Amino acid sequence: MASVTAQIKRGSAELAVLTLLAEHTLHGYEIAKQIEAQTGGVLHFDMASLYPMLHRLERKSWVKAQWQTLPNGRRRRCYRLTASGRKQIAPLCAQWRAFFQALQSVTGFQNA
Amino acid sequence: MSRGFKMPDWKRIVRTNFRVLGVCSPEFTEELAAHLEDSYEALLCEGLPAEVAFEHTLGQIEGRCKVWLVMRFLQEELMTGFIHKVALPGLLTSAAACFFYWTLELDHIRHKVIWLLGGQLPLWWWCLLPICGVLGAILSRRNGGSRLQRIAASLLPSAILGTAVVLIFVVGFTISGFVNHYQLVFARLESLGLVPPGFALIPAVFSLLGAGIAEVSTKEFPRLA
Repeated sequence: MASVTAQIKRGSAELAVLTLLAEHTLHGYEIAKQIEAQTGGVLHFDMASLYPMLHRLERKSWVKAQWQTLPNGRRRRCYRLTASGRKQIAPLCAQWRAFFQALQSVTGFQNA
Repeated sequence: MSRGFKMPDWKRIVRTNFRVLGVCSPEFTEELAAHLEDSYEALLCEGLPAEVAFEHTLGQIEGRCKVWLVMRFLQEELMTGFIHKVALPGLLTSAAACFFYWTLELDHIRHKVIWLLGGQLPLWWWCLLPICGVLGAILSRRNGGSRLQRIAASLLPSAILGTAVVLIFVVGFTISGFVNHYQLVFARLESLGLVPPGFALIPAVFSLLGAGIAEVSTKEFPRLA
């Protein structure tokens, strides 16, 4: 599968993370792995892109992080979506939809 | 020990490799260590030998990855709330420093100050810099700035000064008609004790000293912040 450019990845990363957290409370490693699995490896988060972004989302109060002790006894910083973050998903989806529609109208490619 | 292998001390490894992130938050290093722990364990579960898994995991925080990781963390940390936590305190500090400097330039005040400070013009100028640093750091702290942002707010006046001087030099060199003007500016800077390359670096060091003073004093007296 073709790899997408860094800028598109960056722009779409917030939406991907917010959408994922809308369903589950996850820690950083799980977020990275689940997005990679669900996108067939097209979206791949390394530590340098994932954690600064998660902290940015936290400062925006779109996600809330909390240290939790997992059943295996390890402590992980788990992220969950806040009400404010949930409100962001629909506008972000609309922006991306508009972007792809615009791109489709220019290039004529299908299934954008 | 878990599942027959010994888990490396990732917290220690991350702390050793990312001391600089201590200016942001201790949680960063803990979180990165947790990620590496999971990553290492996943590689072992895939059947990789412990040494290979270790090297592979360590590769995520070494070389170019390390530089990129630090830069991204510092950038995010610095840019979040940049206006309130860095730019405004820094600009207010610059304005205060300019006003203070202008006031001291007034002849009747200047003579008194020079007399008070032993007749050395550059001395009082240098004395201003740590005060600017303290002011920037305290204003940033009041707005909830992190340690990195407090340092950046303290250094902003020096950065502005450095940028301005560099621009003057560039313009002076580029436009031939400005050569004389450039020489005048250079002479003026020299009279203030601002001799290149120290015109930005030395003030920055003094401002940083001020930020350090603010850091220590606000730790001891938290109500100041």
